[in-house]
Amino acid sequence: MMVPLLKHPEMNFGAITFFARQHKEDMCGSNGLPLTPNSIIIYGRAQKLKTIKSPYLCQYLDIIRGKHERTIVVCQYCGVPLSNYLEKKKFTLDGIKRIAYQILHGLKLLHERNIVHRNLSCENILLQGENIKMFNYGLYYLTDNAKLVSFPVVQLLYAAPEIYLDGIHNSLPNPAVDVWAVGIILIELILDKSLWSSLKVGQRIRKILSLLQSNSSVFERIAREHNAYEEYLNVPEDLKEMIESVLNIDPTKRPTCEELLRNKIFSQFQTEQDSGDKELKNFEIFTIHELYHWWQLAGGDVLQELKKQGLIRSSPPILSLPHLVLIEGNILGQERNPATLYDPRVVQMPLDTLYQRFENIPLSSFYPLIRIKSDIISQFEPQPYDATGLPLIIKERDPEYQFHRIILFRRLLHGYPFTKDLIRKEAEKDIPPLLRGEIWAALLDIKCDYKSRYMKLDKYSITPTDRQIEVDIPRCHQYNELLSSTEGHKKLKRILKAWVFQNSKYVYWQGLDSLTAPFLYLNFNDEAKAFACLSAFIPKFLYKFFLKDNSPVIEEYLAKFSQLIAFHDPTLANHLYEINFYPQLFAIPWFLTLFSHVFPLYKILHLWDKVLLANSSFSLHIGLSVLTQLRDRLLSSGFNECILLFSDLPEVDIEKSVVLSTETFKATPTSITAREHDNDEYRTKDEYDITGVTLSDLKRERYPRVSARDVIDMIRTNPRKILVIDIRNMVQFNRCCIINSINIPFSSVSFTENKIENVGSNSAILEHSKDKVVVVVGDEETDLELVFN
Amino acid sequence: MLAAVLTSFRQSVIFVCYHFRLLCIKLVLHRKTIYEKAFLCGRKAIGTLVIRDLTRKITSKLFLVNKIMATNRTGAAQRPNGATQGKICQFKLVLLGESAVGKSSLVLRFVKGQFHEYQESTIGAAFLTQTICLDDTTVKFEIWDTAGQERYHSLAPMYYRGAQAAIVVYDITNQDTFGRAKTWVKELQRQASPTIVIALAGNKQDLANKRMVEYEEAQTYADENGLLFMETSAKTAMNVNDIFLAIAKKLPKNEQTSGQGGSAQGRRLAEGDAGAKAPGNCCK
Repeated sequence: MMVPLLKHPEMNFGAITFFARQHKEDMCGSNGLPLTPNSIIIYGRAQKLKTIKSPYLCQYLDIIRGKHERTIVVCQYCGVPLSNYLEKKKFTLDGIKRIAYQILHGLKLLHERNIVHRNLSCENILLQGENIKMFNYGLYYLTDNAKLVSFPVVQLLYAAPEIYLDGIHNSLPNPAVDVWAVGIILIELILDKSLWSSLKVGQRIRKILSLLQSNSSVFERIAREHNAYEEYLNVPEDLKEMIESVLNIDPTKRPTCEELLRNKIFSQFQTEQDSGDKELKNFEIFTIHELYHWWQLAGGDVLQELKKQGLIRSSPPILSLPHLVLIEGNILGQERNPATLYDPRVVQMPLDTLYQRFENIPLSSFYPLIRIKSDIISQFEPQPYDATGLPLIIKERDPEYQFHRIILFRRLLHGYPFTKDLIRKEAEKDIPPLLRGEIWAALLDIKCDYKSRYMKLDKYSITPTDRQIEVDIPRCHQYNELLSSTEGHKKLKRILKAWVFQNSKYVYWQGLDSLTAPFLYLNFNDEAKAFACLSAFIPKFLYKFFLKDNSPVIEEYLAKFSQLIAFHDPTLANHLYEINFYPQLFAIPWFLTLFSHVFPLYKILHLWDKVLLANSSFSLHIGLSVLTQLRDRLLSSGFNECILLFSDLPEVDIEKSVVLSTETFKATPTSITAREHDNDEYRTKDEYDITGVTLSDLKRERYPRVSARDVIDMIRTNPRKILVIDIRNMVQFNRCCIINSINIPFSSVSFTENKIENVGSNSAILEHSKDKVVVVVGDEETDLELVFN
Repeated sequence: MLAAVLTSFRQSVIFVCYHFRLLCIKLVLHRKTIYEKAFLCGRKAIGTLVIRDLTRKITSKLFLVNKIMATNRTGAAQRPNGATQGKICQFKLVLLGESAVGKSSLVLRFVKGQFHEYQESTIGAAFLTQTICLDDTTVKFEIWDTAGQERYHSLAPMYYRGAQAAIVVYDITNQDTFGRAKTWVKELQRQASPTIVIALAGNKQDLANKRMVEYEEAQTYADENGLLFMETSAKTAMNVNDIFLAIAKKLPKNEQTSGQGGSAQGRRLAEGDAGAKAPGNCCK
């Protein structure tokens, strides 16, 4: 079947490529760290462009960094450049007005976001049907006013005279230059000619500069020079006037886009447009971002396409060797690589493989039923795409599976917060990487006013924590392009400062930066959401961990960790105890940062997918799963080897860890990991809970206490898995006891030798129930320490 | 001729290094003692010891050579094999100092010969070991690399308790870190074992053009307090091995020798009773 939705003409994209300027060898910033590569700065800046959405602007999709500072910009590309129509098809005046209106509309949006196009020309305005889309409007912005590249960002012919006067590299971004360019474009369209097309570069610039001296109208002068005075005379007065005002030599006297849009000549479009400009956004089944994502999953490779089209050529390194290298590292006599100049070519990406891959997807799959599906129907309906049992990594790279998941999640997220329960349920299966940021926010119950809340917080005042934050940020997950970019550093700093400001009872502990990193990475363009996620995450999973004196909280957590190891793996626990290998020595960064300081980002994301669905005890189970994976090595090592193992944590299979920790999480009675310092908001209390255990007691006890409720639950649900030993004396035991429990009065056992036979007649039973959970029942006076020694 | 060498810059580096290797071996042959030790400790020892001797003469090439040698290293801690005649001494060493002064980088350079520009911050502490040869003794350092942030201060005693040596690190481009180093020294003098060997390291010497702490100032302070002092650079490896060697030389090495395992140090640390033990008795 055809896929008409996917083949929408607007669902196409292309790529351009250029080189960022390379830093000289061995340059250091003021903090002694190497300078951030320009391509990374560009990468960080470009993220903002991805959020710009307008019917008249091509959407930015992706930035890819290649070797040697090569930067590739992937962007929507649909339609035909206006320049292709010149001298072929004359536009009607109405058509020209429409184009002018649409350009100005797009420019207004850019200017509102402090982005100056400066690259406007007939080449990068694409016409499709009646509507235009501007392309490559972000180049000037993302190269930080062309500072980060070695070529000028300017369209010779369309550049306003002040650009040349100020010098191409020096001028500040001024939106008035875009207004000038609109004027030139309009003249081209009206005269149906590309201006000064026969002249050389230098002469063209001279022509533009000569306009500075003209006392008469610029439009008229250009028309005369192109033997088109008659056409000029035929232009209606109001349009002529507008063009004149736009082509004012003095940039301060040019009208702004907003003023121009209010011009009477656009009255026919104004009503048409402004009505659709409401807050309410239409639901889109999928966007071009998702299409691009699926295309990549289906094997699309931008780099490869560019190579195929000859935009990326590799030359043998021997040709780029310098003639002379000084001992200080200066390189001399290297010829300038022509590839470092700007290459205006655009390569459109072929979508055929994606179409083929999605050929069999029925139209109904674009409209999944969510609430009104009865269980009976769904039973007989085949699963849209069965991927159960496949490893997570494969699922995440399967285009069809991701198609179904994304279509479904987009709908659910659109209905948030009313679909909270459904999102949770689906998230338990897996989370599609493309929408992870939004799904996490939904799982963390982020309220819709998060933006205004964040805005109110002080993120700039100087505080004593600043130095610490400043030295930590440049070391926090710096292998990641987003987090190492200048924008990323700024954002992370603001979020951390806002958090410290908001939580006056907490303080900044090293590690908070790592904890913030995943949220910032996922919500790079929505700092407020990253902050909201962090603020919701900490009380839920790391309650009180960032208190100024957090040692009781951490000590309790670590004690529980030891007990959890003892509960699930007594052999390992005994070994670690014998070699004095305490969690204090290695596990603080694990739990304080919920592993975000220990693992690379991609692992954290998978881990936290599950953490967010569980509660604050889950990280204990992750810790246990890490130990389980290293079990054999730990058991055969002494103290030094063990601690070395953790100082440089070996490769841990994260999927295995997730599975293991989910298993133990489900199999562990809740009272074992229940903590005094946990957040009351997130736990249900009952009268059988264990209370009043002091920290020192807790640290002494090697085996966990279990609440009466959990014991009863275990006996009810799985009586074979449990062995109850009653150590009270006979009298008490006979008065009342748990059914099937064994009585081994404490006083009857001698502990002179550490052998199970000493227990007496019941030792055989104990011997045979090694895989069972052994519960020891005592009375209030029982000293637990004695029992377990 | 010069131009010809310089055109193939990369190749020339490798070329130089091969020459160094050859030189190393020749030099070793002349000095029998070193030769023996080097042989026992494996190749890495040849690298560290001999390169050090050599580089005194040709300092400017130190960085390049060390880099190459670093890539040749394989394991972390090198164990002396059974045939050793000399003593084996174990020392517990702790690194202290303000955060981001380069404590972890110094250790990483010393233990693995690596350097990461964006070395992650240390939370809690990290533990590493490294063995070096000193005359006829094999010295094994058990290194506790601590977190720098002031807030983690409460954990620090757990690590410096029972330590026979400490390196207090500051950043020569930041005056505040030097002040912090002084408070660390004071704390050690007050709290740690009285015989502890303290070394002061002014790190980031490669950024000497941004220097805020004068060499003389730190030297005077070190002399007054009886500290070893060196300006180091984890980035270029300058003085990194030297400072550890200097500490090893200064540490008392008693006659008792036995090949006891390392877990004793761990137990000490955990129990926190090592301060009471005879501190001079470092060799087991």
